[in-house]
Amino acid sequence: MTINFDEVAVGDAIPSYTAAPITRTQLVRYAGASGDFNPLHHDETFARMIGMDNVIVHGMFIMGIAGEAITSWIDNKYLRKFSVHFLSMTQTVNLDDFENTKGRATITVRGKVIEKYEENGEKRIRCDIIAQDAQGSRKLTGFFVAALP
Amino acid sequence: MADKSKLGMEFPLYSIKVAENKIVEFAAAVEQKEDTDHIKEIYRDVEAAKNAGYENIPIPPTFPTSFAFWTGGGLLATIKAVGADLNKLLHSEEEYEYYAPICAGDVITRKMKVVDMYDRGRPGRKGWHVQVTILETELINQRGELVLKARTTFMER
Repeated sequence: MTINFDEVAVGDAIPSYTAAPITRTQLVRYAGASGDFNPLHHDETFARMIGMDNVIVHGMFIMGIAGEAITSWIDNKYLRKFSVHFLSMTQTVNLDDFENTKGRATITVRGKVIEKYEENGEKRIRCDIIAQDAQGSRKLTGFFVAALP
Repeated sequence: MADKSKLGMEFPLYSIKVAENKIVEFAAAVEQKEDTDHIKEIYRDVEAAKNAGYENIPIPPTFPTSFAFWTGGGLLATIKAVGADLNKLLHSEEEYEYYAPICAGDVITRKMKVVDMYDRGRPGRKGWHVQVTILETELINQRGELVLKARTTFMER
């Protein structure tokens, strides 16, 4: 399924994308995949040493989820730019208290088309995106630019 | 706090071959899949990738972050090179500009540079004063083409 430039209008929402509650095991998997072994993301003793209660999710993992949200809608070869600001830290779900902690670990990405234009001989769209947890806390905001057929 | 004399510093060049199984692993991580057979087809099947218009299995949009982590000693060496303190580090912004696809088998050379360093907030006030460092990375493929530019902003609180 390919989205065409002509089918998209300014103001259109991009399909929202909700990720599974993030577990510590997924942080380990992300660390190994990306090579980001900052102990803040897997070693609670380090987190406590720098004044945090718990390990936190890699910001780049949240951006990775946002990337999934985007490329579930458009092919990644159409991406031209992807830019985010990280706004707050994300904690993982506690497996021994799943129901009470899943909200803080469940990320939903939403976005909206804000501009349609031509650049470098391509038909491009610019979309704002935001990632929030299920409690409404904002994790990142940003935008992407895509060139559509 | 980062050492401001490092402003403008260029890191040594490093080249790395994009491994197919590293793409699979990365896609499984960001798609939160236990089973790599469940990730998007273009990230695990060369034919599907070719049918979708790529020369080989493409990378996910944020995979470029790994080029800095898997070369030159990774995070700790990079932090040390700019004199920053891991205990105070926060990643605050990330930006990618995509010029051409990066696929499995490509040999990517990483060209990273410290492009900005500045203080934000009022010195001496705890929590109100942070030091910002911005790294810019160009990724160049085996044909000498600039395929991606990344801009990473981190703060020390």
